[in-house]
Amino acid sequence: MVYITSWDEFVERSVQLFRADPDSTRYVMKYRNCDGKLVLKVTDNRECLKFKTDQAQDAKKMEKLNNIFFTLMARGPDADVSEVTGKEPMDAQPTKKGRGRKQ
Amino acid sequence: MVLLQLDPFLNELTSMFEHTTEKGSVWVTLKRSSLKSKVQMNKMPSGGETEYRCLIRATDGKKTISTSVGAKDHQRFQASYATILKAHMTALKKRERKDKKKAAENDKKEGVAKNPKRA
Repeated sequence: MVYITSWDEFVERSVQLFRADPDSTRYVMKYRNCDGKLVLKVTDNRECLKFKTDQAQDAKKMEKLNNIFFTLMARGPDADVSEVTGKEPMDAQPTKKGRGRKQ
Repeated sequence: MVLLQLDPFLNELTSMFEHTTEKGSVWVTLKRSSLKSKVQMNKMPSGGETEYRCLIRATDGKKTISTSVGAKDHQRFQASYATILKAHMTALKKRERKDKKKAAENDKKEGVAKNPKRA
């Protein structure tokens, strides 16, 4: 099995795979603490996409992918995932305001 | 396989992560499912809306637990799930910087010094 090295490609292709066949596509996360390895797999039993990492920053990216899949699977393959993929700029902005001292 | 409520599932998942710190792995699978067997599906009147949920299964190789979330409760679940993952995925490498235990203080200074890129 060949691992996909680009994260963006992995995300794009796995969402495509799910949308093509929502009923038989599954998303598996495997975490091995003693080796510090994380493997993500998306498959519909015909095609298999895998991504492997040992980097903590990729775990953050995975969180977004988790959110995408939770949304797609719980709400249906046509659900809008743009709001989950963004970094919630709505929440970040108000905290900046009012902090600095104004003259 | 046991189908649990959300909170017991999260508790069990936490203990799975704790049991596998020394050896072993944890698998978590997400899948869209109507939670009905094929026979039940065939009995349903065609054209009717089937309710789909997201089935979540977790295993450490010995024990398997599962739960499911629907459109209403998935956001709360995914937040707690993310917190658990963050708390237990501690063996992953943080940005290829080695021997930083040696100089934790220097590291902080470096971080400040590296950030401003203006000349």
